[in-house]
Amino acid sequence: MLAKEKMTNKYLLAVTNDLLNLKVKNLNFLFPIEGLSIGFKDVFKLSEIKKENAYIYINRILDKESILSLKEELKQLNENIIGICFNDLGVITVVKELNLPLQLIYMNNHNTTNKASINDYLEYVDSVLISTDLTEEEIRIILEEAEKPLVLPCFGLVEVMCSRRPLLTNFQTEFDLELKKEQVLYEGISNTAFRVVENEYGTAFYKDQYIDYRQIKHEKIGFYYINGLNLTQEDIEKIINNEKMEKTESGFLNKKTYYRLKEMNECQK
Amino acid sequence: MPKVELLAPAGDIEKLKFAYLYGADAVYCSGKKFGLRANANNLTLEEIKEATKIAHDLNKRIYITVNIIFHEEELEGLEAYLLNLSEIGIDAIIASDIHVIKIAKSLNCSFEVHISTQASVLNTEAALFYKKLGVTRIVLAREASLSDIEDIKKKTGLELECFIHGAMCTSFSGRCVLSNYCTNRDSNRGGCAQICRWTFDYPESTVPFSMTPKDLNLVEYIEKMINVGVNSFKVEGRMRGIYYIATVILVYRRLIDQIQEKTLTQQEVKYYLSILNRCANRESTPQFINKLPTNEEQYFLGRDEVSNQDFLGMVLDYDEETNIVTLEQRNYFEKGTEVEFFGPKIETFSYKVNKIYNEKMEEIEVANHPQMIVKLEIKQKVNKYDMMRLKVFDKQNFL
Repeated sequence: MLAKEKMTNKYLLAVTNDLLNLKVKNLNFLFPIEGLSIGFKDVFKLSEIKKENAYIYINRILDKESILSLKEELKQLNENIIGICFNDLGVITVVKELNLPLQLIYMNNHNTTNKASINDYLEYVDSVLISTDLTEEEIRIILEEAEKPLVLPCFGLVEVMCSRRPLLTNFQTEFDLELKKEQVLYEGISNTAFRVVENEYGTAFYKDQYIDYRQIKHEKIGFYYINGLNLTQEDIEKIINNEKMEKTESGFLNKKTYYRLKEMNECQK
Repeated sequence: MPKVELLAPAGDIEKLKFAYLYGADAVYCSGKKFGLRANANNLTLEEIKEATKIAHDLNKRIYITVNIIFHEEELEGLEAYLLNLSEIGIDAIIASDIHVIKIAKSLNCSFEVHISTQASVLNTEAALFYKKLGVTRIVLAREASLSDIEDIKKKTGLELECFIHGAMCTSFSGRCVLSNYCTNRDSNRGGCAQICRWTFDYPESTVPFSMTPKDLNLVEYIEKMINVGVNSFKVEGRMRGIYYIATVILVYRRLIDQIQEKTLTQQEVKYYLSILNRCANRESTPQFINKLPTNEEQYFLGRDEVSNQDFLGMVLDYDEETNIVTLEQRNYFEKGTEVEFFGPKIETFSYKVNKIYNEKMEEIEVANHPQMIVKLEIKQKVNKYDMMRLKVFDKQNFL
């Protein structure tokens, strides 16, 4: 029987091969799973995961084939795996169907932007990742009202777009360029760089700057989520020790987004 | 063969009327609040009421999008809005935020709840999750293959709606905030600035990186989609004009009817494809239905999207005694121009403009002022709101 571990102010690290030997207290490893995740350079087979109290990361939008593959994978889970972080709500149905006592963490970043919806999702899962699309004020409202511990994006690259298309391969093929699965692209009008990572299941765009939300502390934070992509062991130690990091930004913590051009123009006057 | 629904976009009441007239069984539109086209005209509650009456008088259906991802500030007013929609009697809302579904159910709203493509449903298990919440229809992700669709239908019994025509997001819907980061406009609340249509510097290339998908066009797959259980065939384009809506909806209306009557030929399919591609001014492909799209399904450099002026006139009146048609001009034409008339109650036919008359029946050489009233003499009967377009293809060449 798999144990359910309590979530209280711990770190959850989306891990890469470079970070596997990290030894830090109060940290759980989150393993992107081969065939079921996207946007990570290093992915893992379930049989390779030896860490205690590990979580697995399934962030693909799952189609018929991949959900069958997920069911097969979950039948062979080791006891050291205690939870699943996921994007596709089909995972809830699968875990229930297989009657697995796993912690479920809904990590669909751009879909969890208000307290009411988050509490609605919490009826079906153990925790939810708070969106990086919010201001600090909005995050604090959510934390105050949440009915279960939540996951706060704490540090790392933020996925800002995810496509099923092999966008790098398509471009490189069209113009006979060297095939590369990772590239940094630059958008000149907004002066924004994006790190793009592709695998056979699609392409993820990350803003090529680390969000740093370490200033937010709250008793309802079950996990501080760190995306380990492009970070070293030393970086993770610095992050946890609250030391200064380079190439960081505060995302939308202090910057409200708009959607009606009229409101936006008025705000800029 | 089961009866299926042709679902059209409608950015305003005029477009809604044209969509129904040209063969849509249902339309979807947005109110002033909570829809993902925040900068379109959209409909006031009064207009939604009027639109619903129009729809139901025609025995057709109307769906309202409530499909933004809500932040705290939008939650206020949501309940009242849903109650208003319920009282008006719309047929369904299209939602993606779980809270909208829960509230609509708790308020016992009279309308159905359909899950928006924003939720990117691609599998049976996700569809079942929504079914348990009381959702009756899923608008599937545009990434769905025929096999995904068949599986979901068999195992859930839910109504399935699929996009068949129009622009595509590069991203899975709902999973893109490029707009937020590049322009501070929130894509998931209706402010998308379409950054995936922009170009990016690519380090080892003088050619800029781009990732724009060609449009979606499933003309060749409609029959297979009907056979695997798709209930509703949806056309994208709430920002598009009446000519686009009339052309696209009429093509799909005839296509679906001919499939159901088993009279459709491959030659006609080719003709329909030509009309649709010409109308949108850009190339279209089946995208994900049969394979993973490659570079062939994207635009890179040299994208050909020059606006055409094919829409020449709208029929305002036809006098059967004199054979005189009165038209409102929409684009320049002159004596000698080869045109076609098309409309919901006529077979498309060709015509060479020999003489043009002004309102006083004085002969003129050209129709060169926008919305000027002109008259032509044609023997074949046309109807009010039929349209005249430049003849580009001759149907006979396809048969």
